[in-house]
Amino acid sequence: MVAMMHNPLRPTSPLRLVDAVPEPSSAVPEAIIRVEDLSIVFDVPRGEVIAVDRVSLAVMPGEFVSLVGPSGCGKSTLLNAMAGLERPFEGEVTVAGKPMLAPRPDIGMVFQQPHLFPWKSVRRNIAHGPRALGKSKTEALRIADDLIDMIGLTKFASAYPHTLSGGMQQRVAIARALANQPRVLLMDEPFGALDAQTRAVMQDNLLELRDRINATIVFVTHDIDEAILLSDRVLIMSAGPGRILRDLSVDLPRPRSSAILTDPAYLALKRDCLDLIRTEGRKAFEQMEAVT
Amino acid sequence: MSTGGHNRATMAGRLSVLVGALSVPAFVGVWELIARSRIVNAVLFPPPSTVAVAVLDWIHSGQFFGDLSASLFRVTVGFLIGTTGGIMLGVLTGRFRLLSSLLSPLFHILRPIPPIAFVPIVILWFGLSEAGKLFLVVWGVFFTVWLATHIGVQKVDRGLIRAALMLGTPRRQMLSEIILLGALPYIVVGLRTAVSISFYTLVAAELAGAFAGIVYRIEIAQQNMQTGQVMGGLAALGLLSFVADRSFAAIAERAVWWR
Ligand SMILES: Nc1ncnc2c1ncn2[C@@H]1O[C@H](COP(=O)(O)OP(=O)(O)O)[C@@H](O)[C@H]1O
Ligand SMILES: [Mg+2]
Repeated sequence: MVAMMHNPLRPTSPLRLVDAVPEPSSAVPEAIIRVEDLSIVFDVPRGEVIAVDRVSLAVMPGEFVSLVGPSGCGKSTLLNAMAGLERPFEGEVTVAGKPMLAPRPDIGMVFQQPHLFPWKSVRRNIAHGPRALGKSKTEALRIADDLIDMIGLTKFASAYPHTLSGGMQQRVAIARALANQPRVLLMDEPFGALDAQTRAVMQDNLLELRDRINATIVFVTHDIDEAILLSDRVLIMSAGPGRILRDLSVDLPRPRSSAILTDPAYLALKRDCLDLIRTEGRKAFEQMEAVT
Repeated sequence: MSTGGHNRATMAGRLSVLVGALSVPAFVGVWELIARSRIVNAVLFPPPSTVAVAVLDWIHSGQFFGDLSASLFRVTVGFLIGTTGGIMLGVLTGRFRLLSSLLSPLFHILRPIPPIAFVPIVILWFGLSEAGKLFLVVWGVFFTVWLATHIGVQKVDRGLIRAALMLGTPRRQMLSEIILLGALPYIVVGLRTAVSISFYTLVAAELAGAFAGIVYRIEIAQQNMQTGQVMGGLAALGLLSFVADRSFAAIAERAVWWR
């Protein structure tokens, strides 16, 4: 435990269990994102799919929270509800005190695919948001140029998206979302489509970026390593219908880098997460067995 | 061995270029020979030289430019009105379900009726006025462009729309930029088809009765048994639609500028 001696402030166990379902109103009065008893149901040809099942959670200003769970468990749907892209079937989502019924420019989103406007250069893609919000062209382009420098794509400012690699495109997508200076940044498996090497670089970039921007981040992934490396808190979701199983605080020191992935304290935390997920997975599997 | 193969390939390439360059002159030459050899009736099949003289007369008489501008006016104005309407309605029906339910069934019923079949009713409605001719071209062009746009709009990447929504894109800009440009590759294909449709509806419009126009001139020449003039008119029409198609292809290539 050499690392620990360098940091006497670190608590003995990095893992701290918090109530799976935080008390909505009294316990966390100053939360920026508040999800209360949220259910989302989709009509499908053969009935209904419950994508999100009575989920409650709260995110504090400045926090970096990850949502982890098997695919199909409702992570994207939950995130879309925070973005105002999906309406609650029951319950409520509020961001900065206002209920989310439609997308809002103070909430940015990065999707798994970059979804850049193919007809716009990198610079104009990033300037799109500020322009849409009524900023002058000069002002919007100035914002874009600053962000382009920040993501290290200065040489590619006038390139069109299809000429860039996947990792570069995703960096542009992140910059584009940041151009409106959102208070909340939602990221839906943003590195999920990238190869392992690029993904590691992107994770380090995001950690650096986070120190410079002033946003609350909710990050969806099914990669435990990624979740622990990046987050202050990891929410583990059950296999569908999505509910929040556990709320884990990651008390590892910052600044972090991918070097942390071999830290014993980190490994202990990861083992706990994996155990939880494995038990849950088995439960889901047995349920399915029982049904069939 | 490889150089031999290479030489053979370049020789074959040169030969095909040469044959290509000679194709039209050879055809004209053979036609001239046959027409002059009295194998065929020279009144019905005039030699190219006679056609050339007829065309020169046409130009000298001052009628050619009047005919050309009358036809060009009908084709371009009809094309512009029909495609603008088709694109606008295509964006709307592609984007708004209710509007699509209202209009799409109607359009799908009207679309397969060949525009030429509307000539009689157009004459009743518009007489021999320019409006009637424009109507036929507009009608012919509209449905093709509408359908291409409608389909294109529905194929616009939903992720792109969501990204634009998240960035605060206003409704208007969503339609005029994200949806329109997202559908542009499809629209361009529809427009290219519309170019040839506009020419064939032009033919119907001028045959139905006009006072000027290339096809009108062909019809008048036919009534006077001026077969040279008829063929000269056909050649002019062919050249015109060929140039229109080629220039549109060149424009279309640049229209989707980000590719
Ligand atoms: N638009 C939709 N229509 C119908 N079912 C949907 C829709 N979106 C998601 N679902 C269903 O809801 C469940 C959760 O999906 P999603 O939120 O995408 O999961 P995740 O992001 O965790 O993989 C899945 O069963 C999925 O099939
Ligand atoms: Mg998902």
